[in-house]
Amino acid sequence: MSSLFGTMSVALQAMLAQQSALEVVANNVANANTPGYSREVAVMEESPPILSGNTMVGTGVTMSSVESVRDDILNLRIQQETSQQSSLNSYVNSMNQVEALFNETQGTGLQTYLSNFFNSFQSLATNPTSSSLRQSVLTAGQDLAGAFSQTSQNLATIQQGLDQSVVQTVQQVNQLTAQVAKLNQQIQDVSNSGDNPGSLEDQRDEDLSKLSNLIDTAVVYSNDGTVSVTTTNGALLVAGNQSDALTTQINCSTGMHGVFAQGKDITSSITGGELQGYISARDDSIPSAQSSLDNLAAGLISAVNKQQNNGYDLNGSSGVDFFTPFTSSTPGFNAGAAATMAVALTNPDEVAASSDGSLGDNGNATALADLQNQPIVSGQTAGDYYSNLIDQVGNDVSNATSEQEAVGLVLQQLTNQQASISGVSLDEEATNLVMYQRAYEASARVISVVDELNQASIDMFTPS
Amino acid sequence: MGIRVDPNVYSVILSGLQTNAQQQDQALEQVSSGQKLNSLSDNPAAAASLVNLRMQSSSDTQYLQNITSLTGSMNVADSALTSVVTALTTAQSLGVEGANGTVNTQNRQALAQQVQGIQQEILGLANTTYNGQYLFSGTKTTTEPYVADAASPSGVTYNGDNNSNSVDISEGQAMPINLPGSQLFSNAITGVFQSLQDLYTALNTNGDISGATTEVQNALNYVSAQQTFYGNSVDRLNNAKTFLTQEQTQLTEAEGSTLDVDMATAVTNLTQAETTQQALVEAGAKISQTDLFDYLSSS
Repeated sequence: MSSLFGTMSVALQAMLAQQSALEVVANNVANANTPGYSREVAVMEESPPILSGNTMVGTGVTMSSVESVRDDILNLRIQQETSQQSSLNSYVNSMNQVEALFNETQGTGLQTYLSNFFNSFQSLATNPTSSSLRQSVLTAGQDLAGAFSQTSQNLATIQQGLDQSVVQTVQQVNQLTAQVAKLNQQIQDVSNSGDNPGSLEDQRDEDLSKLSNLIDTAVVYSNDGTVSVTTTNGALLVAGNQSDALTTQINCSTGMHGVFAQGKDITSSITGGELQGYISARDDSIPSAQSSLDNLAAGLISAVNKQQNNGYDLNGSSGVDFFTPFTSSTPGFNAGAAATMAVALTNPDEVAASSDGSLGDNGNATALADLQNQPIVSGQTAGDYYSNLIDQVGNDVSNATSEQEAVGLVLQQLTNQQASISGVSLDEEATNLVMYQRAYEASARVISVVDELNQASIDMFTPS
Repeated sequence: MGIRVDPNVYSVILSGLQTNAQQQDQALEQVSSGQKLNSLSDNPAAAASLVNLRMQSSSDTQYLQNITSLTGSMNVADSALTSVVTALTTAQSLGVEGANGTVNTQNRQALAQQVQGIQQEILGLANTTYNGQYLFSGTKTTTEPYVADAASPSGVTYNGDNNSNSVDISEGQAMPINLPGSQLFSNAITGVFQSLQDLYTALNTNGDISGATTEVQNALNYVSAQQTFYGNSVDRLNNAKTFLTQEQTQLTEAEGSTLDVDMATAVTNLTQAETTQQALVEAGAKISQTDLFDYLSSS
């Protein structure tokens, strides 16, 4: 048999439940603009009924839990795409600097120097004894060598900068993985004590999303509420409350920092995030441009020197090397040829314009000029080889840019989808607010009615 | 229950604005630079072909410079030879006059003096320079080709060589630019100096004047024939110049079509981007500023 006091307690419990639900609404509204926040819903549950006589009577409501509304699979997809996008962003930003070094569209590349150099020999052929034309040849050669070495050094500087970025990014990765491990621990503790770890999970999601900006990640959600994080190739980053810090170490053969996980070099198996963008530009695109530049320089040096040796200078002596000869430390590789390119001649008289030793002969000047149309680098003319280099650098950037746009669109859709699930809608919250408010008011009304009834019962015994 | 949508419409507007800003940026860059290619990645293949176009255009400019300078030297050589021919014509008529039996010794010697003057004039012409280079000394362009030499049978010594220089006047097309004096003036059979020296001696000594006059006539014919080399070369230079100028025009056009933006298109793109931006901003402003809370609070 139920009592008035029982009814009152049902109403009281209902008031408490609605109040808690209002708190959830308040929290949602408060976090409407918080990045990474997933809206929460109050889960209301009927209190277990009791047997009253022969009938089961309800005992009201309790708010059993607060649930965050999120789609973990969707979040994973977003992290993967984010990772891809960050990689492309950092790659494109790095390569834009490289692109600027060869900017032929603004006429600031090597083409002008190449043309001027060969033209100076053409010009000399019309008057091979002219000291001013000889000086022009020397100057054009110095300008060309200077441009090659400057470009090569600038490439190296960009590469060094990227190497620093790699080291810094690894440090950021380590900070985030440590943070995720710590949150794992806290989430587990909160869950164990039966509370909702939603806000901690949001924080962890935010960290995981930052992490996927830096490096490709594979996240596995465990039943105990913790996540374990590895790179997509399986290098362990976080397991439970432990994080494994990545380390960097100079690779002796490249002079650049390698990335190590538990002592194993994972540099080339990183497939996403800023880190990959930096590494890809640092280890593939820039070395490739650098090596083309070196090949071109080495081809020019050797062809010009050879032709110069075939001729005779203004004093009738055999021509000496025009450029400082380049000797490769590794056969077949011309590393350093561009960086060290320099004119060896100091006296304009030493330009070997003559092909037979007579003073006014121009045969060798013409031959030197004609090197422009000779296949002197990998079976190509200097111009064609350089034009291929331009094409390569341009394509590196433009391919990445196209991909960047595509990934951006996918990410935009995924983010919209995520927001449609987890985003806070103020209209929805207003509706809930009214709903809980009314329920609260109604419960209060119940209490006041029961109170009146109680009063009536008590008054029954009051002498009138 | 309807489908739940992204409650934050501004994020859509924002990403629309960002995309639009990029397009606007690009259009603006194109309009301000006048170029549709502003970095290699805008069109790598076009940037690469630009390198080849400019290499070729730059070579052509150089060939044209060569042609200008060669045309100068060829014209100077040509007119020097014209003067030589004129001088030889005079010498020849002096010889004809001297061969006439009515001329007395005194007059013959006077004629010989004139022939000697012509010898010196031609010596000067054979040593013609252009830009400090001797035109008729073969490839020894810094050596004066002829010096008077009383000990030599021809009265002069040739210090040049028998070679000639060639210069590229377009890709793969080399052209000889001079004839050595040895070929023009000191040829063994019809040597200019030798024939004049012979005429001078014949007039002075009343020797075989008509034989020497014939020698001068032969030398004159020979130099005239050789002179056509220079005339032909100048023609060739002019042809090459016409060709190169045309090619340069084509290259410039090709460079332009690769690089230059079609201003009408670029401006249209810019205007479109601006319009889109305007529309997005207005849409953003029109998004309901109210939500359910506004209506609840009024009660």
